[in-house]
Amino acid sequence: MKKQEHLVFSFYLQKWRDLCFLPKLEIKHFLVLCILLFGLGAHEVRANASIFIDVLKQDPITVRGNITDSQGMPLSGASVQEKNTSNGAVADFDGNYTIEVSSSNAILVFSYLGMQTQERTVGQSTSINVQLEEDANFLDEVVVVGYGTTAKKDVTGAISSIKGDDFKNLPISGIDKALQGRMAGVQVVPNGGAPGGSVAIRIRGTGTVNNSEPLYVVDGIPTANIDGVNPNDIESIQVLKDASASAIYGTRAANGVVIVTTRKGKSGKLNMSVDAYTGFSNVGKTLDVLDAPTLAEIKRERYANDGIPVNPIWQDAQYQTQLTNWQDALFVTGKTQNVDLNLSGGNDYSTYLFGLGYYNEEGIIEKSAADRVSLRINSDHKIKEWLKIGQTMSLSSRTSNGFNTTSAQNGLIWSAIRFHPGLPIKDSDGNYSSNQISGEFGDINNPLFEVDIQDADRRDTRLLANITPEISITPDLKFKANFGVDYTIIDQRSFRPQVLNQIRTTNENSANRSYDEQFSFLMEYFLTYDKIFGDHRIGVVGGYTQQSFDYQGFSASAKNLPDEDPSQRLLGTGELNNMGEYKAHDGLESIFGRVNYSFMDKYLLTATVRSDESSKFAEGNRTGVFPAFSLGWRVSEESFFDVPFMDNLKVTGGWGELGNQNIDRLQYLARISRGQRYSLGLDGSVDVVGANQSSFANTDISWETVRMTNFGVDMGFLDNRLTSNFNYFIKDTDDMLLRPPVIGSQGSNPSPYLNIGKVRNKGLEVELNWQDTKGDFGYSVGANASFVKNEVVKLVSGTFLGSSFYGRPNQEISRTYEGHPIGTFYGWRADGLFQTQADIDAHAEQPGAVPGDVRFIDINNDNVIDDKDREIIGSPHPKMTYGINASANYKGFDLTMFFLGVAGVDIYNADRMQGLDASYPFNLYSDITGRWTGPGTSNEIPRVSTLRTNLNHRTSDLFIEKGDFLRLKNLTVGYTIPSDITDKIGLSRLRLYVTGQNVFTITGYSGFDPELGLTDGNLQQNVDFAQFPQARTYLLGANIGF
Amino acid sequence: MINIIKNRYLLPIACLSFLVSSCDKNILDTTAYGESTSATFWRNGDDAVAAANAMYTLLREEDSYGHNENVFDNCADDIFRAGDHGYEEAMENFTMDASNYGVRAGWKNKYEMINRANAVLINVPGIEDMDETLKNRVLGEAHFIRAFGYWRFSVIYGGVPLILEDNIIESNFNVPKATLAEVQAQIESDLIAAVSLLPATHTSENLGRPNKGSANGLLAKLYLYQEDFDGTIAAGTEVINGPYPLADNFRDNFTPATENNPEMLFAAQGSDWVDNPQYFVTPRPWGGWDFHNPVQNVVDEFEDGDPRLEYSLYKPGDMVQRGPELTEFTADLTQTGFSLNKFTTFNDDGSLSNQANVPILRSADVYLLVAEAKIRKNGLGAGDDEINAVRDRVGLPFVSNAGMPELIHERRVELLGENQRHQDLMRWDKAGIVDIVEIYGEDRGQFDPVRVFVRPKNYYFPIPQNEIDLSNGVLIQNPGY
Repeated sequence: MKKQEHLVFSFYLQKWRDLCFLPKLEIKHFLVLCILLFGLGAHEVRANASIFIDVLKQDPITVRGNITDSQGMPLSGASVQEKNTSNGAVADFDGNYTIEVSSSNAILVFSYLGMQTQERTVGQSTSINVQLEEDANFLDEVVVVGYGTTAKKDVTGAISSIKGDDFKNLPISGIDKALQGRMAGVQVVPNGGAPGGSVAIRIRGTGTVNNSEPLYVVDGIPTANIDGVNPNDIESIQVLKDASASAIYGTRAANGVVIVTTRKGKSGKLNMSVDAYTGFSNVGKTLDVLDAPTLAEIKRERYANDGIPVNPIWQDAQYQTQLTNWQDALFVTGKTQNVDLNLSGGNDYSTYLFGLGYYNEEGIIEKSAADRVSLRINSDHKIKEWLKIGQTMSLSSRTSNGFNTTSAQNGLIWSAIRFHPGLPIKDSDGNYSSNQISGEFGDINNPLFEVDIQDADRRDTRLLANITPEISITPDLKFKANFGVDYTIIDQRSFRPQVLNQIRTTNENSANRSYDEQFSFLMEYFLTYDKIFGDHRIGVVGGYTQQSFDYQGFSASAKNLPDEDPSQRLLGTGELNNMGEYKAHDGLESIFGRVNYSFMDKYLLTATVRSDESSKFAEGNRTGVFPAFSLGWRVSEESFFDVPFMDNLKVTGGWGELGNQNIDRLQYLARISRGQRYSLGLDGSVDVVGANQSSFANTDISWETVRMTNFGVDMGFLDNRLTSNFNYFIKDTDDMLLRPPVIGSQGSNPSPYLNIGKVRNKGLEVELNWQDTKGDFGYSVGANASFVKNEVVKLVSGTFLGSSFYGRPNQEISRTYEGHPIGTFYGWRADGLFQTQADIDAHAEQPGAVPGDVRFIDINNDNVIDDKDREIIGSPHPKMTYGINASANYKGFDLTMFFLGVAGVDIYNADRMQGLDASYPFNLYSDITGRWTGPGTSNEIPRVSTLRTNLNHRTSDLFIEKGDFLRLKNLTVGYTIPSDITDKIGLSRLRLYVTGQNVFTITGYSGFDPELGLTDGNLQQNVDFAQFPQARTYLLGANIGF
Repeated sequence: MINIIKNRYLLPIACLSFLVSSCDKNILDTTAYGESTSATFWRNGDDAVAAANAMYTLLREEDSYGHNENVFDNCADDIFRAGDHGYEEAMENFTMDASNYGVRAGWKNKYEMINRANAVLINVPGIEDMDETLKNRVLGEAHFIRAFGYWRFSVIYGGVPLILEDNIIESNFNVPKATLAEVQAQIESDLIAAVSLLPATHTSENLGRPNKGSANGLLAKLYLYQEDFDGTIAAGTEVINGPYPLADNFRDNFTPATENNPEMLFAAQGSDWVDNPQYFVTPRPWGGWDFHNPVQNVVDEFEDGDPRLEYSLYKPGDMVQRGPELTEFTADLTQTGFSLNKFTTFNDDGSLSNQANVPILRSADVYLLVAEAKIRKNGLGAGDDEINAVRDRVGLPFVSNAGMPELIHERRVELLGENQRHQDLMRWDKAGIVDIVEIYGEDRGQFDPVRVFVRPKNYYFPIPQNEIDLSNGVLIQNPGY
């Protein structure tokens, strides 16, 4: 009997799982969820229950009417909506509408673009005619800025906005990814496509060679990242791009400020919604590599070319049968799932939103995965007429597992490209095949073996919460406070078993664990004052803020665990390998103020100042003052303004200073570190510890300063159906922190950072939007583009900044020089291949060259090809980045498309460079079949050889490719089931949709993915290491309103 | 109005004011947790010893004896580079240019080691709370390490910038190259100081630190490179007559359990190395990375019955005990069909051990340096005693009336894989004893092909190009590059 019950329960549980796309939801999670929901929602549910029940009981009422403008002209396409539901209708050509509402309590909302929205309660009337007034405040859209909000028409700085709805329900693990291509001047570069992978965000170009990530402000809490915040919780994002807009964040604003506002509850009845999607993903593309017979043939040829005996392994027929395409074996079909549950509502005194989200992504390589469980509680309460308290809270837990895919020594995808195609995944005994057969196959472990033994987990748990009391001292003067907590725990563990049967052995198994905590506490007090005196409108905000940052953590590792069973992989069972602990603190204390002034709504002024004191700098050197101002003129408000079809014209200009204190702490001290170990004694068993100076001091160290000038024009045409925004900026970074290159005789410690560099970014940003409605058909098209020119103006004199080197050959690829962009490609220039000895004789001396080798250009004309013949051969900075979005709706159908692209950018295809180099013992790109085998056979792909006398595969423009692409990033088609059907099944709304992510990419780039990201901070970008490519994802989803 | 405000807001404002006033006034104070600053270090003997320990840790890095120092001897006719570091091919074949990674890799590492020694020499003399004997030892270690760093510089690059205490104090690092003679003079004075400060032997827990014999041994080598034969004989004899006897068994020097026996004057101490050279020399299928393969030519150099052949390399047919397994070494395991085994030992489970030392200076080397000095000074037979001491240990018949050919033979087989051969050949070439152009110019097959050695260019490697670039014209490239 008991068993029977259990089975029945399991059955329902299974059903629940299926419904929720939540295969991993266990009963205990479900129970916790129920309790939470009950505890938080019960009160509101009770309060709303009577209405709810009334709603269910009543028969639908049909309301008809006519919608016109103030002149009585019918407003075809105007919309009517039952408030707080998705039940709606659209007026026909004559402005007539018909709508069925659930009860006489229903409120109808009438709206039309450019008109003031009106609300009417249905009551007893079945016919409601409305006249909509033109909306003089069409531009009154509110923009969130630091420590307040402002009407869009009053904005004098450069601010871009995006609504959370624009990226809702896209398969993205983090909000930062959602910003890609959405706003002019905001460049988002994904660092590969691994689940949960990171992105780099550059606002108005790369402003410094150091940390150039923007500051995020989530519901008023400044923070370094927005990891863990559920993208579907976002109401809006504003990006403060120019100095005037962002100076209120002073010494953290130099790289731009991203203001994130999360959704809140609205007064009205309880709303419950479930949004869910599920889908699959696959790799968009694989690279063509040689099959086993061709590989052997080419390997034999390289020996023949060198006149040395062929290694017998390449004549062994056993290894000349094609068995495995390692890329096909490695890439699998990934899965993505998401479900969000939201409850919101409120009354005149309190509003609340409760959200629970679950996101799970299994990547296109087995075991690469990320998930996120997030809980959000936001509420606002009016306790007294004069006292309000608001609160936001986001609690999230994320896990992620991944592989190294940026190493040209043992990167996983790098290995799959190169592993011998004549080996099986597993041999007949069930063991993974191994290159231990022969050193000729290269020191790569079987990539699927590496996937199989991979055992690493990372869990990030984050609490981001604040409380914001607000006291109205007078109606115009308010005192506000903001107490925030940003607390992250990162817990990581990994285990690597002993590996003796693969060529890269691991002699001792080892287990690692690390635990890191970051705790930040924010405390702010400020006053706001807003008043209108006749034609003068004034807004003032000013206050005090402090934020502390405490970091601590420890790590330990053990080796030689006696039992490798997954259940026994705990540190204590092995021998202590090493352990560590750290602790650090940063603090920031500041005052800030801003004045907004408007005269006759035509002439606008914003002036801002912030003074920051930061622990990053030595005492006496800590305070930085960051002023900014901007002016605006709303030309279209002038009486003389009369331009046909033009409704809005505003010109703005501003200037300001910003800081970047995102640098290592304690640089003003010369530090001595302990911990380097050495062994002594007859048998080396006596461990001793060393202590050495690990840094040089710079007591004068200071923040980097950005000075930015901005000019903007806002225009609106054709009843503001077409709006445009142009911004031109010059952003100069001064005092950029650089370590003067460490001259070798100084040793291996880096020199201290000095404030000496300069970088200039200047550019143009364009945003265009068109929206219109024709009857039932509404559509909009938006496009944005940015053109940024990045130039390093000053480095330590006569020097360049190097970057990390590539792979086995230790090849230099990227250098940063004065007068050029950051991280340019640096190398030789190729001029085809030498076809004959005569070609070689006619050319500058190129030691060791034979026909079939690459002819390099004698750039310095000294008649010798050597390392002085290198120059800048490409730039990883696009000339243009752009995004295009289009949406349309017709009756219940909706369609959105979003394209993004870059143009005028170079990629250094290092993976192909090595993939064509037959001197290494790896598999090769198929392109090698077009190699030089005699005069006239190729002018591009050199002969094969075991030797590197001519270094054909040195860094040269032979491996530079255009990285331009246009990608259909998202395509969504949705259908909202008509309300007469949804009503019958007790739902207020049901929308079904399909989404494709990375649907197609138009590019001439030959690698996996033209979006390669950063491989050494800003100093190396767009270099192909066989990074994890972005997956193509297809989703099926539903939005359900109850 | 004021009253109303008072009543309504008094409490909340008071609360908030309290919060403001109670906020952490020291929010801007920071602490260097777990680290000292230069102002709070150098307090006592423990700090001094820790600072000395940090000098040695650099020897274990890949840029040093982890790998890269060994690359400079790939040029010898003993070794084929093997491995997959593309740049090493050019170094072996003398086709490298100044931007070659291998000529750059160890530059910083050696200066860091020298500067850690400089830090000891600057700060330790002023420590009051420290035993005088210990202070002498630490200072002696620092002198030795600084000399050793410049020694390696001098044989690889010739003259290099001399960074001494004053350069550190004045932060003056971009200085022109000292001449080779100036560098050698600095090495000599540091070694003489080390001889006077270092103890003859160390207590058991300090075995592995340089002692008086280490300093004398390196001094003997320096003098020989300067053709100061009397100097070599004098300093070398201090070692030969000192407590630094040859180990009973040749292999004891390459066995972790006995690696710091008295013969081992100086070694990079191996224990849990990450970049242990054993990975570099061991065949890939046995857990290594297969660099530095011996070639047929050096295998042929061994006399019949010389046990050092078996103790220095694996050759096809050798049965090798790898943990529980007895495995036959086959030619396809490495590129040349041979594998150095001086650093290769296996754990009980068959995995590769990472406990081996890299010998840098052994008494046997010093015996042969003295023998060479005596032969070159006094003629045939003058070095018989020292050569025979080395041969006696491995049970080979004595030589008599030995000249340079016998000495050259003995050094080659005794020190195979210990980074001496290329330097030895160049020393002898400069003295007209051998013709290095001819030796390297001979075609001995795929792994020992014709290589063009250009005199005097290839006596030294090029100064790393990036260092020349960074010096703004202060550093001058070696001739010919």
